[in-house]
Amino acid sequence: MILETQKLVKSFGGLTAVYDVNLHIQEGELVSIIGPNGAGKTTLFNLLTGHISVDSGRVIFKGKDITKLPPHAISRMGIGRSFQRLNIFPRLSAFENVQVAVFSAQRKSRNVFARASKLARQETEAILKSVGLLDKKNIKGALLAHGDQKRLEMGIALAVEPSLLLLDEPTQGMSPRESGELTQLIQKLVGERGLTLIFVEHDMNVVFGISDSIKVLHQGKIIFEGKPDEVKKNEEVQRIYLGDEKGTWSSL
Amino acid sequence: MKSLVNALNSNRFVLLLVLLLFLLIVPLIMKASWVSLVNEMLIMALAGCALNLMLGYTGMVSFGPAGLYAVGAYTTAILLTRYRFPFAIAMISAPILAGIIGGLVGWFCVRRSAVYFALLTLAFAQIIWTILFEWYGFTGGDNGIVSIPIPEFFFTISHCYYLTLIIVGISLLLLWTIVQSPFGKTLQAIRENPGRTEFIAIHLKRYQLAAFVLSSAFLGIAGSLFCVFSGSVFPDYAHWVKSTDMLVICLLGGFYNFGGPIVGSVVYILLSKMISKQTMFWMFFLGVIIVFLVLFMRNGIVGFLSEKLAPVLDKTSGSGPDEGTR
Repeated sequence: MILETQKLVKSFGGLTAVYDVNLHIQEGELVSIIGPNGAGKTTLFNLLTGHISVDSGRVIFKGKDITKLPPHAISRMGIGRSFQRLNIFPRLSAFENVQVAVFSAQRKSRNVFARASKLARQETEAILKSVGLLDKKNIKGALLAHGDQKRLEMGIALAVEPSLLLLDEPTQGMSPRESGELTQLIQKLVGERGLTLIFVEHDMNVVFGISDSIKVLHQGKIIFEGKPDEVKKNEEVQRIYLGDEKGTWSSL
Repeated sequence: MKSLVNALNSNRFVLLLVLLLFLLIVPLIMKASWVSLVNEMLIMALAGCALNLMLGYTGMVSFGPAGLYAVGAYTTAILLTRYRFPFAIAMISAPILAGIIGGLVGWFCVRRSAVYFALLTLAFAQIIWTILFEWYGFTGGDNGIVSIPIPEFFFTISHCYYLTLIIVGISLLLLWTIVQSPFGKTLQAIRENPGRTEFIAIHLKRYQLAAFVLSSAFLGIAGSLFCVFSGSVFPDYAHWVKSTDMLVICLLGGFYNFGGPIVGSVVYILLSKMISKQTMFWMFFLGVIIVFLVLFMRNGIVGFLSEKLAPVLDKTSGSGPDEGTR
């Protein structure tokens, strides 16, 4: 087991965003977390990566308790993430965006004397290539198309060489074609690098297409988990997730 | 125009060499008063670049650089006057002490960001100013310290000028190396998106503190040089007005560019001397200049020029990966 949470709880004032969440993620698994807006998906990610502090419960990664560690330490241990809202370095080129993360992975960020432009070029270009941005490496992050920015963000996350990758709505704001391409890319990368992947996603094509297992989050609780087929068939999930619009999932 | 731009761009190295040669012969071709002026420009250029390591490269807006500049100046002054230290040691101690004080101040400041960070830096600079102003027994209070026993050799303005030129030259080279290094790139990433850097395993506060300390040390060098140049130190070196000078120098030249504060320093000091000779209302014109800069030339003179020339440059330069940021 690569990641485990025990009775994770987080509330903001009177609102309980995450309640009693127990996750058991196996190495190499491709897990998606679905749920309506406000279900606590992003909060859960923020708890796992140390972005916000846990009220109670524990997060265990590779057998170590990481509940109280700061984000940079958790990141160093091998949990990478992308964000729902774009989170790149806008005025750095695509190349530099990834390169800065490669420096960090290679523990070169503190090097004050070397010339950055001559270092870690191959590693950086390999990552840009694998996310399909090699030909756009000199373009500033801010000037890339939305889909490319999402790819870039994934490149930044991958550069730190995580063993567990958390993707928060990777295909958000993408056209069906773009999101299809990105899904393939995610599958390819996960396979190549032997990653464990947890992702939050609203596009059900993506969710049912690539997940090994699906967790359904509702009002901060996991109300159902299982294989894609099991989730599709579950009536309670359908009711909560889709309201009364029955039959939408069967068309998938 | 286009060919001129190309020529300038491809001959950056040659241009730098010409500038250096010019600086080397300044005392031979100029009157003493002009040599003093260039000397002052060099010192402020260093102070501006030191501040810019924080401001332009790490995205930390400091309102208190003068406090650390004054620490450098007073360190050299007090070691020479009170303790009769050898000149070299009195100078080398300046960046060290400024770095240490910068570390203390920075340790508190990096705990907050944006406007709170800026206010903390201002508050600490005012604390330093007050100590310098009130502690008559040690710092000379509002009288400052005058007739500092600088070696007689440096009484000659051209000798003092060459000392400044060498030290500023080495310091700028070091700063240039720093901003081009992986550390420098990491600082730029922090400027662009501090929150994101924590998720690529960067210990954000530690890097911000490192930038603060480095910036303070270089400010200390600038302060020490000014102490040697003027032969006296005053509490006003730490005053927020001095900090504003440094900020305006960065703003004027453009702080997303290494050369920005250098250009800013030259233009600012020329303007201030010229305008204050003509009118008593220098501050009024300074205000107008700042308003103009912020509204119309947010990236300063260097930024403005390269923005206007960017389309031309993009077509021609062999776009290396580091072209994006500058």
